[in-house]
Amino acid sequence: MATSGYGERHPPVGAASAGAAPARPPARAWWSTDRFQTAAFIWPTCVFLLALTLFPFLYSVWLSLHFVRLTTLSRRVWAGLQNYIDLFHDPMFHAALQNTALLAVTSITLEVVIGFTVAKVFYELASRRWVNGLRSAYLVPMMVTPITVGVIANYIMNPHLGILNQLLGLVGGEPVPWFGDPTWARISVLIVSVWQWTPFMALLILAGLLSIRQDILDAARVDGARWWHIIHRIEIPSVLPVLLLGIILRLIEVFRFFDLVYITTRGGPGNSTMVLTLFTYQQNFQYFQVGTGSAAAVVILILCIVVTAFAVRLLRKIQDA
Amino acid sequence: MTIRKLMMASTAILICGGPALAQNVDWATELGDWSGTDISMSTITDPFIDSIERTAPAFEELTGAEVAVDGFGYDALHERQLLGCSQRDGSTDILVIDGIWMGEFVEAGCLDPLEDRIAQNEALIAWDDFTSTGAAQASWEGTRYCLPVGIYYGLLFYRTDLLEQAGLDVPTTLDELRETAAFFTDNPDYPGVYGYAMNNQRGAAAGQQYFEWIFSAGGSPWASNYLGAEDPYADLTPTMNDETSVSLVQFFRDMTAYGPRGVESFAWDERATAFANGSLAMINDWSVRAQIANDPGTSQIAGQFAAAMMPHAEGARTVSPVGGWVMCLNAHTQQKEAAWDFIRWFASPEVHTDFVLEGGPPSRVSAMQDEAVRERYPWTVQLDEARQNAWGDVRPRHALTFQLIDTVGIQVNRAIVGEVSPQEAMDTANEQVTEMLRRAGLL
Repeated sequence: MATSGYGERHPPVGAASAGAAPARPPARAWWSTDRFQTAAFIWPTCVFLLALTLFPFLYSVWLSLHFVRLTTLSRRVWAGLQNYIDLFHDPMFHAALQNTALLAVTSITLEVVIGFTVAKVFYELASRRWVNGLRSAYLVPMMVTPITVGVIANYIMNPHLGILNQLLGLVGGEPVPWFGDPTWARISVLIVSVWQWTPFMALLILAGLLSIRQDILDAARVDGARWWHIIHRIEIPSVLPVLLLGIILRLIEVFRFFDLVYITTRGGPGNSTMVLTLFTYQQNFQYFQVGTGSAAAVVILILCIVVTAFAVRLLRKIQDA
Repeated sequence: MTIRKLMMASTAILICGGPALAQNVDWATELGDWSGTDISMSTITDPFIDSIERTAPAFEELTGAEVAVDGFGYDALHERQLLGCSQRDGSTDILVIDGIWMGEFVEAGCLDPLEDRIAQNEALIAWDDFTSTGAAQASWEGTRYCLPVGIYYGLLFYRTDLLEQAGLDVPTTLDELRETAAFFTDNPDYPGVYGYAMNNQRGAAAGQQYFEWIFSAGGSPWASNYLGAEDPYADLTPTMNDETSVSLVQFFRDMTAYGPRGVESFAWDERATAFANGSLAMINDWSVRAQIANDPGTSQIAGQFAAAMMPHAEGARTVSPVGGWVMCLNAHTQQKEAAWDFIRWFASPEVHTDFVLEGGPPSRVSAMQDEAVRERYPWTVQLDEARQNAWGDVRPRHALTFQLIDTVGIQVNRAIVGEVSPQEAMDTANEQVTEMLRRAGLL
């Protein structure tokens, strides 16, 4: 019998007579199915994520439910939610929450305002060749590691030897206890933070400004729009999505704000510059109270997720509008 | 054994000679050949770190080992050493720790007990020659874990030229201290000079200041801790919000008026530096920091200062705080024999005197009474006096010490900067310490 060349298992097309069951596609081995191959490619990532994110998170949650010190992990005592209850009764944690919120609001507001102004200046001067160098130089603070920024700030703002007080003295000013007084310490941390992160905001806003089509601006000018109309009606709406993205990124960053206060104030004087991450660090690695420290870390994570989710929703709404 | 008995024993040993100071050791045969071995040590970056580095080469020459000394700040050292211990890290062979961390390090299993090793080296180590309060810092619950090589006592340092010019006596009471500090502050005859600076910085600095002064103020930080107590840890119920403690914190707050700008965030080094650059008429500080003011290369007042006992409150007496650093064998190191050779060599009376002459803090009676040491460092005379009126447990030394002192220091600093009143601060400190101790089963 002549064969079709498909072999016995694959009868030639048309071989199925009318009334017979329709031909089924050829069965594939289980390892060559799309489903298996998709899973095979994804599982290493899943394992990686489970090992590096989910497990530490769950372990932190588990630790947060115990009274336990890092140096004597085997001597842990079940605490239930007591570490969380203690946390919300701890005046230092309250101070850390307040200071972090205050820093987020003041720092990001100033960064947006100053960043927009700086971006606008760079935008208007974009055609000048020397502006490129200036723009690159302006980004330097953002590229310096926060630890270095803290050390530099310590030198500059030293009450006796720092150049800032020396300069103040030259113009007849009184020396300022930059990191030595609760109010000044807050202001000093804010100044340094804004100095470091405004370039980031300016860079984002500048990118937004550069993306505005020139013909829209020309049309507005032809229609008699003044500069503030252009800023209000064209530039701000155009940079808004990118600005919100910057705000979200900075919000996340503020929740992780640590290095600067660790180097300059250690949360003091009093609790005036205590922030959430420093509080968590102190519990975990100075007191080795990993139960309390883990509870604080879990709270920070939840806060960060809630705030970011809210901001992302807001961003989507604005984009849709 | 009481302090008095320990002192008498030490004196008798000194007078009679005897095994305690049997030196002239032939170290070349005593020590092993450690060629090719790297011994590492972590310690505080206090002024004595340079003295260790200048003394250690003699050991390298004798044994062929290389000794690396890594220095860290106070909080960073505590964190690094305990974290390493929790991970069973043996890469640092020798841990130089603050005596008050002893309970915490022992509980965490970081230290190898030295009882057997000391017993095999009685003559070499001459334990009784260590100052009694210094020796107490190196022991925990009756077991010797470390050797006390960097013991400090708290002293008052003052500018001899300024007090002489002003015709003032050295203050002996807290009131006199306040008056003398006020005299120099904003005084046109002494431009650029402030009266006094205390250890006000948030956390460990301010916390330790409270413990360093409370006995001289006539108080006590917890119930069973009184001078001469047989067991100071019998009842840890804190008494930090009593009248004496609150008055003491009020005194700290008042004294900020006589310090330079930013004195509210000064700690040990800021004060020592301000004293050395001529900005302060007086400070109290650990004896080791006299070296900063004594170095003509960095100090503007070398040869123009002297030491005295720390002042006390009316009706109380000076109780000199004792502190400092003890050298311990990391329980997790693989090089215990080499490390122990270094420790016993370094702590021996003979080498210790060399270390002290290089600027290290005298921790042995023999070094404190050594004529060459006294001639080079005149404040050693007051140091010897301070050792005799010291109390070894002015600061707690149990497993929660670091957290406890930090917690107290945060509240003391809050009062100093005016965030809360001294009474509120010490009420909070007392409450938080009580809860901390209760939860740890220490109350």
